[in-house]
Amino acid sequence: MNLLTLRENYLKQRIMLCFNGPISRSLIEEIGNALRNYLNTQEAAPSSAMDVFSVYIEMTQNIRHYAGRQGYDDEQATATVAVARDDEGHYLVSAGNLVELEDGKALVETVENLAGLDAVELKKAYKQQLRRPREEEHSGAGLGLLDMARKSTRPLQASIEPLPSGRGFFSLTATI
Amino acid sequence: MLEDLNIIGSQSTPTIQSDWQGGRLYMCGDSYPENSYELFGQVINWTETFLGDASHGLHLELELVYLNTSSVKAMMDIFDLLEDAHQGGRTVSVTWRYDTRNERIAELAEEFREDCTFPFDITPQQAQA
Repeated sequence: MNLLTLRENYLKQRIMLCFNGPISRSLIEEIGNALRNYLNTQEAAPSSAMDVFSVYIEMTQNIRHYAGRQGYDDEQATATVAVARDDEGHYLVSAGNLVELEDGKALVETVENLAGLDAVELKKAYKQQLRRPREEEHSGAGLGLLDMARKSTRPLQASIEPLPSGRGFFSLTATI
Repeated sequence: MLEDLNIIGSQSTPTIQSDWQGGRLYMCGDSYPENSYELFGQVINWTETFLGDASHGLHLELELVYLNTSSVKAMMDIFDLLEDAHQGGRTVSVTWRYDTRNERIAELAEEFREDCTFPFDITPQQAQA
């Protein structure tokens, strides 16, 4: 294992924080805490720091909920999470996970549809989703996705890569 | 009368205290548990029982800092209970105090307030040095 290559890759892509592996409830909290502390030392605007943290929480909790619903084991219930900065100083929050291929395709389509909505329409969709009964929560654009879309300064970007196993790898990026 | 809530907060869950006699419900801190219903179910139940059984008013005092969407949904349920009670003639009110450096929580509180017709104060507080 060449850690120097890994490190150089991270530096090149301006990755501040990265995680890959089985993600537990407590790990989400600990990484979240590290992320908050890091943003504080970077003197990020409090509202940006809050948005980055919030998008990170929604992404990782969505992954945990999905893996739980699918009954995935520890190996399948892994997540790849990265927080980086782009050339313009925006924060990029990305998370990826294993999904059933059809679910991944449907998610990409949902995210693409959200890209066409302006702030007023996103707020309306968010408030509608908020009022859906809990048992219907997983239909339509999830509350978490709508919340991320509202916090992102650019439309969310999603992709799905088919894997040899027949499943897919879903990735989502929000720009703060 | 229902037993009062006295829930100690953690990194991801708020401190929650209720006072049946005084007609007060207090919550402070961050709220991002994975399953917010496990936590807020008892708060919703307390609020519902209070509004159904007691005859005095209820004041909700909030110093919540960050809420994940699942906690937002639970809070909306609580505000809906207050709104129904208010429509039925009960005295209910909310004060949400926030640190002036954190405008996001003020925006969130404002979105809740849009759907409420009872007194709902969003009060900025200067950060303590």
